[in-house]
Amino acid sequence: MPRGFRFILQRLLPHRVHRDLFEPAFNDLRFDYIERAASRGLIARGALGASCALRILILLLDCWRLTPQYIAEHRSVRPTASEPSREHLSMLLVNLRHSFRMLRRERGFTAATVLTLALGIGANVAVFAVLEAVVLRPLPYPDADRLVILHHRDTRTGISKEFIAIGDFVDLLARVDALEHITAFGGGDATIYDGAEPFRAVALLATPNVFDLLQAKPALGRAFEPGDGKAGAPPVMILGYDLWESRFGSDPSVIGRSVRVGDKSRQVVGVAPRGFRFPPHNRAEIVLPLTMPAQAPAQRKNGWTFAVARIKSGVTHDEAAAQLASISARLEQAHPAQNQGSLYYPMSLRDALVGETKWPLLLMQGAVALVLLIACANVANLLIVRALARRQEMCVRMALGAGRGRLAVQLLTETLLLCLVGGALGVALAYWGVPALVALMPRRVLVPGLAEAGIDAGVLMFAVGVCVISALAFGVIAAVGLRRQAPAAGLSSAARAGVSRSTRRAASLVVAAEVGIAVVLLVAAGLVLRSFGALLSVNPGFQIDSVLTFDVQLPADRYREVAARQAFYDRAFDAIRQNPQVFAAGAAVVTPLTGNNWTVPFERSDRRVPAGQRPPDVGWQSASGGYFDALRIPLRAGRVFHTTDRGDRPPVVIVSEAVERRFFPGESAVGKKVRIGDGDAEIVGVVGDIRRAGLNDAPRADMYFPFEREPSPAITLFIRTNGDPLAALPAIQSTLKSLERQVVFADITTLDAVAAESIASTRLAFWLLGVFAALALTLAAIGVYGVMSYAVRQRTRELGTRLALGATKNGIAWMVMREGLTIVSIGLGVGVTAGLASTVALRSLLFGVPTSDPVTLAATVVVLGAAMVPACYLPARRAAMVDPARTLAE
Amino acid sequence: MPAATHLQFLVLGTLVAEERPGREIRRIIAGYGVRRTSAAFYQMMARLERLRWVEGWYEQITVGDQAVTERRYRIKPAGERAWKEARAFYESVALAAARRWSDA
Repeated sequence: MPRGFRFILQRLLPHRVHRDLFEPAFNDLRFDYIERAASRGLIARGALGASCALRILILLLDCWRLTPQYIAEHRSVRPTASEPSREHLSMLLVNLRHSFRMLRRERGFTAATVLTLALGIGANVAVFAVLEAVVLRPLPYPDADRLVILHHRDTRTGISKEFIAIGDFVDLLARVDALEHITAFGGGDATIYDGAEPFRAVALLATPNVFDLLQAKPALGRAFEPGDGKAGAPPVMILGYDLWESRFGSDPSVIGRSVRVGDKSRQVVGVAPRGFRFPPHNRAEIVLPLTMPAQAPAQRKNGWTFAVARIKSGVTHDEAAAQLASISARLEQAHPAQNQGSLYYPMSLRDALVGETKWPLLLMQGAVALVLLIACANVANLLIVRALARRQEMCVRMALGAGRGRLAVQLLTETLLLCLVGGALGVALAYWGVPALVALMPRRVLVPGLAEAGIDAGVLMFAVGVCVISALAFGVIAAVGLRRQAPAAGLSSAARAGVSRSTRRAASLVVAAEVGIAVVLLVAAGLVLRSFGALLSVNPGFQIDSVLTFDVQLPADRYREVAARQAFYDRAFDAIRQNPQVFAAGAAVVTPLTGNNWTVPFERSDRRVPAGQRPPDVGWQSASGGYFDALRIPLRAGRVFHTTDRGDRPPVVIVSEAVERRFFPGESAVGKKVRIGDGDAEIVGVVGDIRRAGLNDAPRADMYFPFEREPSPAITLFIRTNGDPLAALPAIQSTLKSLERQVVFADITTLDAVAAESIASTRLAFWLLGVFAALALTLAAIGVYGVMSYAVRQRTRELGTRLALGATKNGIAWMVMREGLTIVSIGLGVGVTAGLASTVALRSLLFGVPTSDPVTLAATVVVLGAAMVPACYLPARRAAMVDPARTLAE
Repeated sequence: MPAATHLQFLVLGTLVAEERPGREIRRIIAGYGVRRTSAAFYQMMARLERLRWVEGWYEQITVGDQAVTERRYRIKPAGERAWKEARAFYESVALAAARRWSDA
């Protein structure tokens, strides 16, 4: 159950009733829903969700019904008869019928209220549905909150990586006692040769304790044993449940069978439980044991791995982080040349999967709550007006003997009905809004179930909670009016004449608050819009347009030799360049703008770092010469890589301008030597700096290694074309297929799309804040218009008198306009102050724009003026049109 | 008369052999024609807990790919005594009735 609902529900029922009756019954409902929804389609799931929501509502009512009896039992008093409860229920039905009739009679008021609430609640529910799927829904592992990914931060550069050096992993394994089941893992695709046709499967490579870590028991056979991960152990594997069903026909005799995976035969020792995934977005069709060295290797940072662990019971996250920091410091002391500045820290698995999207989403939930607040303020104003209009009816009912309590319950029921209808319409709006929101989510959000985010029981509970809270708030506003009413006074003609100055002032203040909230959202949307514009116009240091990129995987068994791979890539690039649509083609290991932060130590051969010190890191990339042409990274000096830069020639590297500036001040880097491992490499070229990790990343110092020297069987191609890059794809793929039939393509995209994805969080914030700010502005303008119109209607007699005494029409119009603009000015002042204070929360989303950007503030004033002037002018014009003769005669 | 009501006897009987989640107990007693709303059922279970006849706790399980919490129950020695007492009572009543039937 989402935490927000837990909080609300805990306050709707007495604590004991919630704990003993509601909570276990609610969990049963949830179990039932999940079990039944699993095998159904989207529409059937929606229907099931609606029925589940109804059952939750019935459960809530049932708990309310049982509350007096249950509380009495606790006080050792015999339960009273259930008559009072029944009486309450029948009163509720009477009130509901009466409210329904009243609202049907006042169709204009009902439509305005329901639509306003539907917009506010719908937007809230839609954002909450995504927030629930991304941030609140538990991961599919027992006690998943204790699972953490081990991250590495270089404290000298501030660069963080989500993986851990193998040397450090081995040492951490031996020293950390705040964590248990520390597991190294990796993933990828593997080719399985079983039956007539080989096929690709998603593989999870993990140290044997992965099943202990995730507290998962195999459906068949056994889990890995510690010996399975030792060097030289017989190769084994565990099949994923789905693969076992689809490819092995759920055959239990598969246990013990040998299956060829890649170039190795492996014995199947088990079948993973149904639904087993790790990481949660990874289907894990096969699980292979990962071998880790028993002792930390001398070159501690030559290999890296992902690592996940479980925080031990009784240990807090901060304690685990403190222990990792202390061990990192000890490792730094023991191995200064390799570990200087290396800090390891735990990050919860959920945070690692959600990444930086969590904060924009939380921010959006806050923004959309403000929209609901404006909608509520509008509805509150409508209710105040309505309460005044019904003052006489209420006084008559009181004079006939109706108690104030009874009338208050009646008003509460009416507002509850309004809110529930508005909420139902809002949920329908959200039903269509959620898929649009999900489409805006960055692809790197790897939370399972995001694609299926929608209106489920939890989200419906949220909607019901919002409706009930809104209804209670509005009902209280309406009911408070009754408290101060004397029946006789309400029946007098003076009471019918209009509203008091204090009531009007209260309504004006509510509207000023609405304007203020709208200004806060406008300022936020304006700042994010300016950041988005700045990101789109930033120069990444290379040309993004017209570049096709995709991964190529060669069959490992046929390309074991480096020479075979070199020969393939030589032929492949020659053939691709023959294509008339292709300008340039190259290959690299790291795709720019994907957040990659791989680094390598940089050390001049002629100025060695003193013993015991770790050289500074620079960005790492392995690229072919064609990569620089394809991305149009400018060559500043020297040359790019040639196909001749191979194993039999002296090693060479290329550096970026930032490296030259930093390590070779006042001299050329070309021709100088740098230390690579135990040898030297010559710098043969200097290229321009690029923003490698993302568009919002500062250009960094990078060092490029020749891809040609030892090409990998899996690489990423970058091809510059003279038109639509994707149009050239079929011809290029067929060229590559003609050279190698078993070549596999993956992650086909364009650099434009990669760049767009790198700013997806800002885009998400921009769209949502923009829509919510527009919605808030519209609602605030309607609020201003409503209050001004009502004031003019109430003051018709006064305005008529003024006109009769010689006031001009323009003077009257300006007087009314001035009142409206005063309200707007107060709202603007408060809103700008609050907006500037709250932009601190936006800081992580801003790029190239200060939080107190004067352009944004000026634009906010203009946009607000454009919306508010008509909202004030229309009632003012109506005021100027008052006929003095007619109004004085009435 | 035994301390346990016939409904309590039924519920305790489902727990004599093994611990069970609440929803399973509710399903079993529904098989005997006992229809209670889930809130009323858990009210009864809370009463049994107060009598210290059963012990309840929460446990997290995985359904599909989602974690769900369920309330599980196990019988306590006092509950087992109450169940045995009720069973002995019902057996003696049944035996007496059977004797009367055969005498008649």
